Amino acid sequence: MKSEVMVGNKAVAYSAKLARVNLIAAYPITPQTTIVQYLSEFVANGEIKAEFVNVEGEITAQLVCMAGSIAGARAFTATSGPGLIYMHHALHGTARYRLPVVMAVANRGVRTMGPDHTDMMDQRDTGWIQLYCENNQEALDTGIMAYKIAEDERVRLPVSYGLDGYVLSYTAEPVEIPEQKEVDDFLPPYKSTYPVLPENFDAEIEDYKKHWLKGKSINEPFTPYPADESFSHLTMVNWGPGHDQQWRWRSHQEAMMKAKQVIKEVDEEYGRRFGRSYGGLVDEYRCEDADVVIVAMGTIASTARVAIDNLRREGKPIGLVKLKSFRPFPKEEFERIGKTVSTIGVLDRNISLGEGGIVYNSIRSAIYDLEEKPLVLGYHLGLAGKEVRLRDVEQIAERTLKTANEKKVETFVTWI
Amino acid sequence: MRKKMSIRDIPKEEAMWPGNPACQGCGGSLAGRLVYKALGRNSVRVEIASCAPGFMNIRVPSFYAPAFEGAAAFMTGLARGYKLMGREDVVIAGLIGDGGTVDIGFQGLSAAAERNENIFWFTYDNEAYMNTGGQRSSATPLFARTATTPISDTSRGKAEEKKNVPLILAIHRVPYVATASVAYPEDLIEKIQYGKEIKGFRYMQINSPCPTGWGFEPKDSIKVARLSVESGLWPLYEILEGRRFRLTYKPKELKPVTEALKIQGRFRHLSTEESNTIQEKTINNWERLLDMDGKEIF
Repeated sequence: MKSEVMVGNKAVAYSAKLARVNLIAAYPITPQTTIVQYLSEFVANGEIKAEFVNVEGEITAQLVCMAGSIAGARAFTATSGPGLIYMHHALHGTARYRLPVVMAVANRGVRTMGPDHTDMMDQRDTGWIQLYCENNQEALDTGIMAYKIAEDERVRLPVSYGLDGYVLSYTAEPVEIPEQKEVDDFLPPYKSTYPVLPENFDAEIEDYKKHWLKGKSINEPFTPYPADESFSHLTMVNWGPGHDQQWRWRSHQEAMMKAKQVIKEVDEEYGRRFGRSYGGLVDEYRCEDADVVIVAMGTIASTARVAIDNLRREGKPIGLVKLKSFRPFPKEEFERIGKTVSTIGVLDRNISLGEGGIVYNSIRSAIYDLEEKPLVLGYHLGLAGKEVRLRDVEQIAERTLKTANEKKVETFVTWI
Repeated sequence: MRKKMSIRDIPKEEAMWPGNPACQGCGGSLAGRLVYKALGRNSVRVEIASCAPGFMNIRVPSFYAPAFEGAAAFMTGLARGYKLMGREDVVIAGLIGDGGTVDIGFQGLSAAAERNENIFWFTYDNEAYMNTGGQRSSATPLFARTATTPISDTSRGKAEEKKNVPLILAIHRVPYVATASVAYPEDLIEKIQYGKEIKGFRYMQINSPCPTGWGFEPKDSIKVARLSVESGLWPLYEILEGRRFRLTYKPKELKPVTEALKIQGRFRHLSTEESNTIQEKTINNWERLLDMDGKEIF
């Protein structure tokens, strides 16, 4: 294992290389651009054997990955902010066709060029798995784990992972690069389980008709592929009477829910093999015997660790929950945590206008069934790239502790 | 010199099963049948939002690209993916409507042409958004009535001329560009059989009359298509390497455009002056093409 000081974008490029992606399609946008540049260098000097498609826009990048994945490629793309929004239409397609495409997002807000999570949060209902990273090492490790999760037969869903733009994408940190052989053992080169070939067409249709005639199709759709039935020629025999149109949503939701377990397993296996793991869906830091926890995502979690250390030194019973997997959302974890703490402070680098902090409201919803519910406070910070300082997070932590001690809420939501 | 195909040389084997829910006399469905007859079954079909998903009885793997604007991107992905799988023998073909070609899909189409992707793009051109009820596209010809270019005191149908996509693509210097018509199957099939052996970006735009949208009897689809070619409204040509231009069918004498126009409801409102305008533009265009015939262009 070797170590190198590298920016987050290079860590992402390394993860794609180590994962042996063989189809890359991307379009430049700040702060993602250098991911594509590093990858094109890897391809040009033969370090990656891949089809590299320099496309004319992000929606094309996503569609190239989608179709390439159908044909059997291990596909990768990367984007940021407005590019991700431009890709939105195609994101739904990759997810509904249940394709194991992986995408890195150098998070950039949708209202300024600064970093926040509004770009990925805008895509939360597209059916992609969403993971968030705290540092460059985690970006590299997550990029490799992402394929293992995406390609798991229980899941078969595309995975996006975010790294805060600039703060990680253009900032250098020491990163350990795993050995290729060890990565190959963990994640063998991809072979499509569902090749779509012209010579199989007639046999597939016959199979399908047999299944249909048995009357099994209503709630047990059968296709040679795990995808939404609009995926292929089988569309022609699937619009029969009794066909449940909602199946495409229900089966997708089931796969998302199964992904919770798979993410945990993959993270644990990665830890065993490479000595680094990230807690699965959430990473709990100094939460043992904590009366109060704060919840953060991405690089803010890194700042929060220092704040927690400082407050722990003062004897304050506070911990950090880093939310790594936003989709699927770790409801069970928050129910468990909610039983042991009196107050939760949620740091949202995002907003759903007309409601508020997205993670704040998700956590409030997750703990709703608890008989004794903790207080949940929300904080908006770091939006539009506003700097998040250590003292901002300390202020949040103190405010949350004060609410816990006084058992009195001044305001539920605060703008920092 | 390539051998001219006779109607007797057309392959007997059909790639299309009988029966689909397209309208009676649908030119697009017929284009689909002829295209896959010529390509053979070692091919795939990409479709996007259009009437084409209705031509569901073509027996090759078919993919619905889930973005109207994304046919070229989707075909690119398939072509690269099949290449990675060592299956470049599979022809990646798309049966795309004119809207998905000349309007919403144009950015991706131009980009795929510029990258010279190994795909064969077929536009079945019915000159409007027929699947949504016949709204104007930039492939709609001058003065045609559509749902969004109605006839009134102030509107005389479409005010602009048809966008000339075959020539725009030719100037991308792609290996093969051709026009074709469902009324000339031997010309269409010969071009496809020639084009399918070429590697790189290939494009064919097929005149596909739409009885529902153009306002004529379903039995007259072939007649409308044939008169369009014989009057010079729809010239049949091909362009190799973006340079070598060749008319593949030259009527001895052009028929008057009114013969083709008068049987179509979408042109029923034409005044003599408007008919004359179309006639004049058609003859000018035909003469320019005759000048280019057999030569290097651009």
